[in-house]
Amino acid sequence: MRPTSFLQTTAFRVAMLQALLFAVVVAALFGLVWNEIHDYVGDQLRTAVEVETASLREAAQAGMLEAQIRQRLAVVPIGPDYYLLSDASGNRIVGNLLFHPRVAGWQRVPFHGAHGRHKGHANQVDLYVTPLGDGRWLTVGRDNRDIGELDEDFSRYFFRSVFGAMLFALLSGGLAGHFFVKSVDRLTARAERIVTGEEPGPLQVERGGVEFMRLSGRLSRILERVQALMENMRQVSNDIAHDLRTPLTRLRQRLETAYLGTQDAALLREAIEHSIAEVDDVLATFGALLRISRIEARERKAGFTPVNLSELFASMVEAYLPVVEDEGKHLSFDIAPGVEVRGDRPLLTQMLSNLIENAIHHTPIGTRIVVSLRDDANRVVGCIEDNGPGIPHQHHDHVFRRFFRLDSSRSSAGSGLGLALVAAIADLHRIALSLRDRAPGVAVVMQFP
Amino acid sequence: MKILVVEDDVETASYLKASLSGAEQFVDCAPDGSTGWNMATTRDYDLLVVDRMLPHTDGISLIRNLRAKGKHMPVLMLSALGESDSRVEGLEAGADDYLGKPFALNELKARVGALARRPPLAEARTRLSVGDLHMDLISREVTRAQQVIELQPREFRLLEYLMMQAGKVVTRSMLLEHVWEFNFDPQTSLVETHISRLRAKIDRGYHVTLLHTVRGTGYCLRAPD
Repeated sequence: MRPTSFLQTTAFRVAMLQALLFAVVVAALFGLVWNEIHDYVGDQLRTAVEVETASLREAAQAGMLEAQIRQRLAVVPIGPDYYLLSDASGNRIVGNLLFHPRVAGWQRVPFHGAHGRHKGHANQVDLYVTPLGDGRWLTVGRDNRDIGELDEDFSRYFFRSVFGAMLFALLSGGLAGHFFVKSVDRLTARAERIVTGEEPGPLQVERGGVEFMRLSGRLSRILERVQALMENMRQVSNDIAHDLRTPLTRLRQRLETAYLGTQDAALLREAIEHSIAEVDDVLATFGALLRISRIEARERKAGFTPVNLSELFASMVEAYLPVVEDEGKHLSFDIAPGVEVRGDRPLLTQMLSNLIENAIHHTPIGTRIVVSLRDDANRVVGCIEDNGPGIPHQHHDHVFRRFFRLDSSRSSAGSGLGLALVAAIADLHRIALSLRDRAPGVAVVMQFP
Repeated sequence: MKILVVEDDVETASYLKASLSGAEQFVDCAPDGSTGWNMATTRDYDLLVVDRMLPHTDGISLIRNLRAKGKHMPVLMLSALGESDSRVEGLEAGADDYLGKPFALNELKARVGALARRPPLAEARTRLSVGDLHMDLISREVTRAQQVIELQPREFRLLEYLMMQAGKVVTRSMLLEHVWEFNFDPQTSLVETHISRLRAKIDRGYHVTLLHTVRGTGYCLRAPD
């Protein structure tokens, strides 16, 4: 996988976004905790300073103040860091601080280092100034070193955890992206192999979640359709080659024979007449193919009008009754009245005509043909059935294909396109076509939507 | 009769001109829609043969414009798109008949013949007669030599169409279109069968034959001269 394509994956982008969001949330959380701890530590320190001041005031009443301060300055302090005892005019008597107390209470002053025992992190001190009864000032203070250290630790932890979280999010996102890209690549590669015919078969994914199953299911249906279309195309072009080449070859032979053979005008006329008939057959086949493809390409329901099916069925029976009788067969009918559908009347006429003619053409003398139309509980079902030789079950799926003929010799009447046209018209109208064995014979059932 | 052929394909145009020209028929040709429009609007033609696909102005627009301008001469439309929907479109634009390419010469001649000298639509006829064969369109009674002939509804329609076109040749596909409303060619002898039944009813037993078969073309109902 190329790095650019990896960076462009949706999964990676989502991971990036997730990482950023994560960082923001962590920062907010840290800020809150930080603030709380900061306040708490500050309060603790002030309390310590105030307690120390109180204890030193007690010492001052006992006249032990200076000694106490010196003692505290001499040892490693556990409590406050800075002590200062100033006289009434603010000059230092004892202490480790340069400061002129003027008002009582808490005050924060910048700290210039080097005055206390602690250098480094501290840059300000909080001082608690207390005027003593004798005009002197007592100042006890604490610098912000501890809080500074705390802040430093905190920010270190903060950046570390944010960095870690982002890294984790990116890594997991990247991994997910990698997995997705891999799965999609596998799926598309497989689809491509199916389309090119390298590795035919169904599209199946071994791994992947529901979304991949769903995707592959959809893709699989699309592929099936593409395959069916390609198969259809292949069959049609083969059949065109065969079905049209044969009559064209015959035509050429006839013309050549006539051209080279005879001078007799009557024979020539006859040859031309036969040739015209053959050209007409070829044109009819072309016309039928064109018609089928135009119907297949037509927009569904464009130009549909209400069609009285009962009347159409009856008129077809009326039209074909004499033809059937002349062929030595029988035609009966059972047509429910008042059945109406939306459709293209000329096309429905052609569909019925083709089906009835099919029953006439492919059955022996004496066959009974039944045309029926039923309307049971809003299910409109038309049926053309005969008690002829029927259609072998294994061919039921094939009869509606272009150029399909039961006898492969292609010598029987018809172009082999009649039922393909029926299928195209039925498909346009969403009519479900099916064949049923009637033993003997076959029934073509049309279930209207 | 003066005929204007509007057709852009030179070969087809000269074929049409040669086929339709005759003792009483004069044919002019226009190679595109706008020339066709100029000729049709400035000269008097009895009939137009118009191709659907034309340069500049297509056949549909040409016919529509002519009809809008009040030109009511019969128009036969030709098209390579021999489809029912384009057929409907052509007829809706104002064409009187529609013929898909490729066509047989006989078919073209028969259709031109049927369109020429068409009875004006305004004249509502209630009675048709060919020789001693009479049809009353209101009582739907058919008689020959005063004898009533019983006809099936479809046979009545078939005879009615033949009588309307009496003396002219009607082709198989003209009958299919007008009598059965089939815009396709059935693979059975549908027309032949019905014609033979009709013939048995109107001609059998009479000395004079009215319904004739025109070999290779179609049928003609005519009284002897």
